[in-house]
Amino acid sequence: MALKAKTVFTDPLSNNNPITIQILGICSSLAVTTQVDKAFVMSVGLTLVTAFSNLVISMMRNQIPSKIRIIVELAVVSTLVIVTDQILRAYVYDISRQMSVFVGLIITNCIVMGRLEAFALQNPPGLSFLDGLGNGLGYSAILMIVGSIREILGKGSWWGIHFLPENYLGNGLMVLAPGAFFCLGLIIWLQRQLTKKFETA
Amino acid sequence: MSTPKGDSFVVVYATIVCLICSLLLATAASALKKPQEYNVEIDRKINVLKAFGVPITDAKGKRIKGPEVNKYFADHISEITIDGATGQEVTAAASAKQPLSLYLWKDDGVVTKYAFPVSGKGLWSTIYGYLALEGDLSTIAGITFYRHGETPGLGGEVEADWFQNGFKGKKVFADGKRTKFEVVKGRLADKYPEGNNHAVDGISGATLTGNGLNRFINADLDKYETYFKLHRGT
Repeated sequence: MALKAKTVFTDPLSNNNPITIQILGICSSLAVTTQVDKAFVMSVGLTLVTAFSNLVISMMRNQIPSKIRIIVELAVVSTLVIVTDQILRAYVYDISRQMSVFVGLIITNCIVMGRLEAFALQNPPGLSFLDGLGNGLGYSAILMIVGSIREILGKGSWWGIHFLPENYLGNGLMVLAPGAFFCLGLIIWLQRQLTKKFETA
Repeated sequence: MSTPKGDSFVVVYATIVCLICSLLLATAASALKKPQEYNVEIDRKINVLKAFGVPITDAKGKRIKGPEVNKYFADHISEITIDGATGQEVTAAASAKQPLSLYLWKDDGVVTKYAFPVSGKGLWSTIYGYLALEGDLSTIAGITFYRHGETPGLGGEVEADWFQNGFKGKKVFADGKRTKFEVVKGRLADKYPEGNNHAVDGISGATLTGNGLNRFINADLDKYETYFKLHRGT
């Protein structure tokens, strides 16, 4: 049991990472990674939503009528997302203004629904919570890496703090969405080289 | 999922889930209302400050915080309501035929700048902003647009500094009459090769947003004109 809990938690961090291996949640990881602080807020939001929706759905898994399974899942996820959005608006207003749309889009993030369907419906609450946490953190890790690369190359700063010389102009490509695409592509390639996990035709 | 369940169970289940969810949402919304409203209020004030040309970021590029914003407001700005029909200041909005809000920037008790809200339809959405005029009530001191739903990169550029900076120093009143302010289609230099002091560069790809700005900026200026006429020095 303890061993299983450990793999459930650590697998999505690298070997079964939701972004680089499962290729889920690409949309938001392209959109909110121009700056590290935005990526961080999004990471925290998604991790909490995934973990808690996994927990709640797993607790309900034996009662949910399978006919309305998806709708119930959506109701739980969207409640959590709206609460998250409200909290962001109350405490980190500037960041929430810049990314409001993407917080709302956590609802449609494939990772959340994917984990609910693939894991929470079959496993007990504790394990499901760990699974959600692990997947959220796996997503966060990639977001922070992409965010760091983009902010450093694109703006010469990290978390809003400039540290490259003033005459560093910044790479415009990195600030725009295609920059994220290249970063993500390279990370996926690197990851698959390291884990030797390939999709075979 | 263990046992097959009837339709009535499904309905009851869905109702309970909905009830619990809405209860949670209502609790969260009302509990967080206060800090949210405070944030919105500070954001509104920051935008007024920006129109007045106050630097709204500190040395590190971070936005200034609530207490500092309120200090600017306490030291320099008074908010008044005027009646657009008579041009007089009123104490209560209800007593005016056409209540309009106006912000006065005071240096040592003397009004040196005026700002007022402008809003109107762009292409897709209503654009909200503040327009500030110098003490002569003829020259634009600054403008800011803070809320809109225009296309990012095209009409959304109304939020960009390069666009808003173009407004500074332009005339809305010259030679004794209101001059129509104009966001031109394309570049200013193409339409007015000899230069023009009451028009600014348009945003390429966002002509319709520009037309919207033209309409509502001029309409809002006209609304305040009765008041401005009484307070214009010359």
